[in-house]
Amino acid sequence: MTLSTPILWVALPLIIAAVTLIFPNRMLFGIILTSASALGLALLAAFFPEDPTFLLGSLVITVEESLAILGRSITLTYSILPFISFIYAITGLWTLISGIPGTPKLFRPISLAITALLTAALGVEPFLYAAVLIHIAVLASIPLLSPEGKKPRPGILRYLILQTLALPLILLAGWLLSGVEALPSDSPLVVQSAIILGLGFGLWLGIFPFHSWLPMVSQHAHPVVFSHLMFLIPSTIFVFSLNFFDRYTFLRTLQNLEATLSLFGALMIFLGGIWTATQNNLKRAFGYTILTETGFTLLALSLFSQGGLNWMLLLFPGRALGFWLWGYTISLIEKHNGSLEIEAVQGFAWRYPILSSGLLLAQLTIAGLPLLALFPIKLPILTAAFRNGTTLGIWVFIGNLGLFLFTFRLLAAFIKPNNALKPETFSISEKTHEYLPILIMILVLVILGLFPNLIEKLTGTLTTFPQLQ
Amino acid sequence: MQILSTLAFVFITITSMVNLILREWRINAVALALQYLAAFILVTLSWPVGMAVIKLIVGWMASAAIALTSLRQSQKDPTTDSVASLLFRGLVGLLVIMIIFILAPRLQESIFPNLDLVIVQGGLMLMGMSLMQLGTRADPYLNIISLLSLLTGFEIIHAALERSTLLTGMLAVVNLGLALAGVYFISQSSAAEGSEEKAP
Repeated sequence: MTLSTPILWVALPLIIAAVTLIFPNRMLFGIILTSASALGLALLAAFFPEDPTFLLGSLVITVEESLAILGRSITLTYSILPFISFIYAITGLWTLISGIPGTPKLFRPISLAITALLTAALGVEPFLYAAVLIHIAVLASIPLLSPEGKKPRPGILRYLILQTLALPLILLAGWLLSGVEALPSDSPLVVQSAIILGLGFGLWLGIFPFHSWLPMVSQHAHPVVFSHLMFLIPSTIFVFSLNFFDRYTFLRTLQNLEATLSLFGALMIFLGGIWTATQNNLKRAFGYTILTETGFTLLALSLFSQGGLNWMLLLFPGRALGFWLWGYTISLIEKHNGSLEIEAVQGFAWRYPILSSGLLLAQLTIAGLPLLALFPIKLPILTAAFRNGTTLGIWVFIGNLGLFLFTFRLLAAFIKPNNALKPETFSISEKTHEYLPILIMILVLVILGLFPNLIEKLTGTLTTFPQLQ
Repeated sequence: MQILSTLAFVFITITSMVNLILREWRINAVALALQYLAAFILVTLSWPVGMAVIKLIVGWMASAAIALTSLRQSQKDPTTDSVASLLFRGLVGLLVIMIIFILAPRLQESIFPNLDLVIVQGGLMLMGMSLMQLGTRADPYLNIISLLSLLTGFEIIHAALERSTLLTGMLAVVNLGLALAGVYFISQSSAAEGSEEKAP
């Protein structure tokens, strides 16, 4: 019997998503099915043997790496499995908390389907077709990001428009790049193709100045949904972008590419940090925080000649867990407090100290506080930025400082005594099932901060791109 | 075929102008459906009819989906635009037409030397007009129509560059997905308006 990796990590989750979709109102069934499937597929990918032949009694099961579809193929090689394992694991984590009130019913099946589509995007041949698969994933995210029963906000329309504009640009750039390979590197077509490609990725990733939808969508979408999608889709797009660097030598050696990427990275960190620090709405602030995080990934990418690609991949786990904690805590704070304006959460920590601590720690993890998961990765990026240019380093530093400033504003608001709410001593109002995941996640974040080598296996993904090692 | 493709291009120009200037959902839906017919004719210049017809069917399905949803939801009279705004959008449309006529031959010469000029012009016309439509409207229904037009314009050019059954299938899913997003937005708008009206 012959199976293939795309059947396991693309077709199977799509079928499970379809089954879950049939029973949207059976919440527990949906949570168990999607979480177990996602976490099971993550474990399978993590421990999948390099030479996959299994014996089941007298039955010999061989797992191939490729699946042919309509004259093309999807190939999921052994080397990409660490990343696939990672994205399924985080989808599993998010579906586990999808029982929080207000989370769209469709979140569970659609998030699993999106993960499957993004997995297919990582393996489709020709690799350019991934752009279409990613766009289908974006379209699937629309009903999740636009709250049910409410008029579509301008932010979601802007998101859809900008993401759709990216598709033709990426496909066109891919076609142009395959044509300019044979041309001398000083041909104007090379630069034109690179600009079209850059525009496409800029639109996709919400890179400045195409970022305006981020805070708008963030403010009105459910935090669990938003944090999941805004981690999963951009991270996969970044990994997909490595295909271009791997296949086109002239793109890697393009003059000023590193400088341009680091400039945009630093600019996004700076602007994102400043905007985050000045926000009064917690959800909007997170939208801008994402801008900063995209900036860090861009900066790591720009340092590819100094090992930046490893940092780029290592940023993902800490960020995912930080986003998860943010999504979880902010959903519960919204449930208990109603408003998420900074004035409205004054004194919140007196009643809900664990929820408040969870949110603060999520913010601090993303900001890169020592002892927490992102610090060991952000520190070398920051150091390399300073090494490449003091001005660049200062921009990055100030931007990152913005994230800390916002967290301190939040802390001040949380602990400011609120006479209207009365209690003058701390009281734990959270229920056990609410605070237990927070405590576990804080522990995981600290462990990852102390032992960053635990996530090193993820860098194995880079073996998929032989020219980038 | 030459006459037919020129006619298709003229059709594309007229229908995209109509969609840019007028904001009446029935007219927009019909113009979109006609646009797909014209795009189909241009795609047949590069693809066999059997494959090109997929784009026509998908396009008509997308147009029908959003038009039928609008038909079900539409209760109010269409808002009437002032003459000044109609005139402004008309002038903007003329500007786009002028730019495309200047730009298309140059682009064909430098980037798409193997493509018919009418394909480049048709594709660019739809894309240019759609971008202009996206820049001048905030209504979900009209935005989706613009995005569908934009993709159609791109597909006219891309069809001449690459022929792949898988890609055709995936782009069909994208078009239908966009139409479904439109259906979702229109239903949401109506539901929200309905609940606002019910509220005291």
